[in-house]
Amino acid sequence: MRVTSSMMVRSTLRDLNNSLGRLQVSQTQLSTGRVLNRASDDPTAAANAMGLRKQLNRLDQRTRALTDARGWLESADASLTSGLDLLARAKEIAVRAANSGGLIDTNARLAMATELRSIRQDMLGVANTTYGGRSIFNGTAGGAAYSAAGVYQGNGASVVRDVEAKTTLAVNTTGPQVFGTAGGAVGDMFEVLDRLATAVATGNDAGIAAEHANLDNAAQVMGAATVDIGSRAARLDGIQARGEDTLLRLKTQLSTIEDIDPATVLVTEKAQENAYTAALQAAAKIIPPSLLDYLR
Amino acid sequence: MTALSSLYTALSGINAQRRVMDLTGHNVANAATPGYHRQRAELQAVGSSVPGIFSGQGSRNFGVNVIGVTRAYDSLLAARAQREEAGRSAATLTSSTLGQLESLVPEPSENGLASQLDAFWGAWSDVANQPDSPAVRTQLLSNADALATSLHRTAADITSLRDTAIAKVVTLAGDANGLATEVASMNKAILSNPNGTLDLQDQRDVVVTELAKLTGGVARPGQNGMIDVFIGGRAIVSGTQAKALDGAGGTLRWAADSQPAAVSSGQAAALAATITDIVPRYLTALDDIASTLVTSVNALHSVGYDQTGTTGRQFFDPAGVTAATIALSTDVAGLPANIAAGAPVLPGPTAPGPLDGEQARAIAALAESATGADSKYHSLVTGLAVETRVASRRADLQDQVADTANQQADSVGSVSLDEEMANLTAAQRAYEASGRVMTAVDDMLGFLIEHTGVVGR
Repeated sequence: MRVTSSMMVRSTLRDLNNSLGRLQVSQTQLSTGRVLNRASDDPTAAANAMGLRKQLNRLDQRTRALTDARGWLESADASLTSGLDLLARAKEIAVRAANSGGLIDTNARLAMATELRSIRQDMLGVANTTYGGRSIFNGTAGGAAYSAAGVYQGNGASVVRDVEAKTTLAVNTTGPQVFGTAGGAVGDMFEVLDRLATAVATGNDAGIAAEHANLDNAAQVMGAATVDIGSRAARLDGIQARGEDTLLRLKTQLSTIEDIDPATVLVTEKAQENAYTAALQAAAKIIPPSLLDYLR
Repeated sequence: MTALSSLYTALSGINAQRRVMDLTGHNVANAATPGYHRQRAELQAVGSSVPGIFSGQGSRNFGVNVIGVTRAYDSLLAARAQREEAGRSAATLTSSTLGQLESLVPEPSENGLASQLDAFWGAWSDVANQPDSPAVRTQLLSNADALATSLHRTAADITSLRDTAIAKVVTLAGDANGLATEVASMNKAILSNPNGTLDLQDQRDVVVTELAKLTGGVARPGQNGMIDVFIGGRAIVSGTQAKALDGAGGTLRWAADSQPAAVSSGQAAALAATITDIVPRYLTALDDIASTLVTSVNALHSVGYDQTGTTGRQFFDPAGVTAATIALSTDVAGLPANIAAGAPVLPGPTAPGPLDGEQARAIAALAESATGADSKYHSLVTGLAVETRVASRRADLQDQVADTANQQADSVGSVSLDEEMANLTAAQRAYEASGRVMTAVDDMLGFLIEHTGVVGR
């Protein structure tokens, strides 16, 4: 093949251009810190990266739901603990009132009845516990869970949170599940406390004994609800730990796909820079000489 | 054969070598001229011409003749270089168009449509967590609005790519017409002066290459040294006639009968692909995403209940099912309380409690639907990435092919300074030698004149 200087100039220029292009790719990677600057750099990696980003965002949403669920369960747990304390005091009063027989005077009985009524009032406060302005024992209904008269105003619906992929968790417990069902022979906790207060006030020992037994049952129901809430909170702990693991894994994977390995890219960049400099020097030496330089 | 004719033999050598040196000078001067092909003087010994029947030995002529000047030109290689140049400009333009298109959907990143979709679904999830919070509901509406605006902008950007391409076709038609006219007029000049038009032929080749880059036109040798240029089998230049193209509306047509020009290469082909294939295809894909979004969200939203127990409300405007027209419906725009976060209670259906967020949760779960907007968007981005990569590879390849073709054509036609210097030296020496011959003959004649006929003086 016949080679002329203009051909050499052209091919040298093209090679220099290609060399500079490769250098530019490396420098873009270094300055952005990313291997994947456009989806077309590596379509497969880009598809993976998009999937991972989506999973990360979903995980973020689930973490928000999880935090919210934890708030619900912790409020419920705290309020039920104080509810159980209130019940214990009520039982104590019932025991004292029963043991005193007819020996105790009317004023003392009335005082005990008053305390029982205030316990009932406090219990109503427990039942109307709110989280983020929303009653937690109310199902999906608005407003307070129990009216001042102790009537349940909520519904039986569950409040569900997406806490993990394909896993939902009901975060609420309805009023009847905690405080018993209203009506019937026994009624809910508020009715029991009401009747107990009346029995104590009137010195009705048989009534006191019956309501004492009912209080025990109510405490069992509430205790069971507390245990249930505790076990759900424990599930949340496991889910949260898994979520943190997943977060770390996803971030590592994303970084592997999208980010540069600085050492590799730096070395590559340096090598390309050297190659470019060498090409420039070679070009400077190759292009000028022609027969012109040697003819006199 | 006389002594004087020997002088003329030497003179013919001097003349011929001067001509060779002229051409060498011309070649060196044009060493960097685009499209220039080196020229050579065709020398022929005078005696080599066929002698006349009655001419004898005594009438033989000596000397050298310049019988013509030719250019080093391989028409096959030149045609190939032209074709590959046309292919290169098509591939480069397609690759750059796809690159622009890709930059309109910047993925994977935090500012693409994907993260806006995620934010939108995340807002639904927040509403599911706190259906009673007006702030969270308002946040959802503004996220939905941002998503719709993003879709509008992306659709508009993609459409503007097409508009740019259409405008380019109009310009291209004008340019091509200008070039075709130029080729025709050069044909005319060559026709009227068949000799001494080598430089004009080179220039014509440059113009034809430009025309090929624009329209993918193919040059074929015509009559009397003229060149015809064909686009899709129909002549745009035929001898001294140029046919006009019209690019109005983004389709290249023959002005004479409004038939579409069958372009298969050059920028025109890339532009046609952009207008009729690439842009419509991605616009349709984007519309599909918008329509999926509207349909899937509305299907759930319209059976959901808001806090007052009202149902049957649309979230997105059901009429806006393209990327350019997607919008919040008047049911919810600016009315966060009307967002139907509550799920119907079955059987019934009856309204759930006012703080129910189940429907919002169901809508948020659309994010992971295999046939949902997100997965469609992912396949759009991946498809575009693959197409862009393939186009860029093809452009690189075509670049090399075109360079090689040029290289081969150059290897025949381009000026080598070494060669010219060698030729120059040879011509110079031959010139000097012819001069010496002339001196020798002159000496001989001088000797005869000076020293003969003096006997008896």
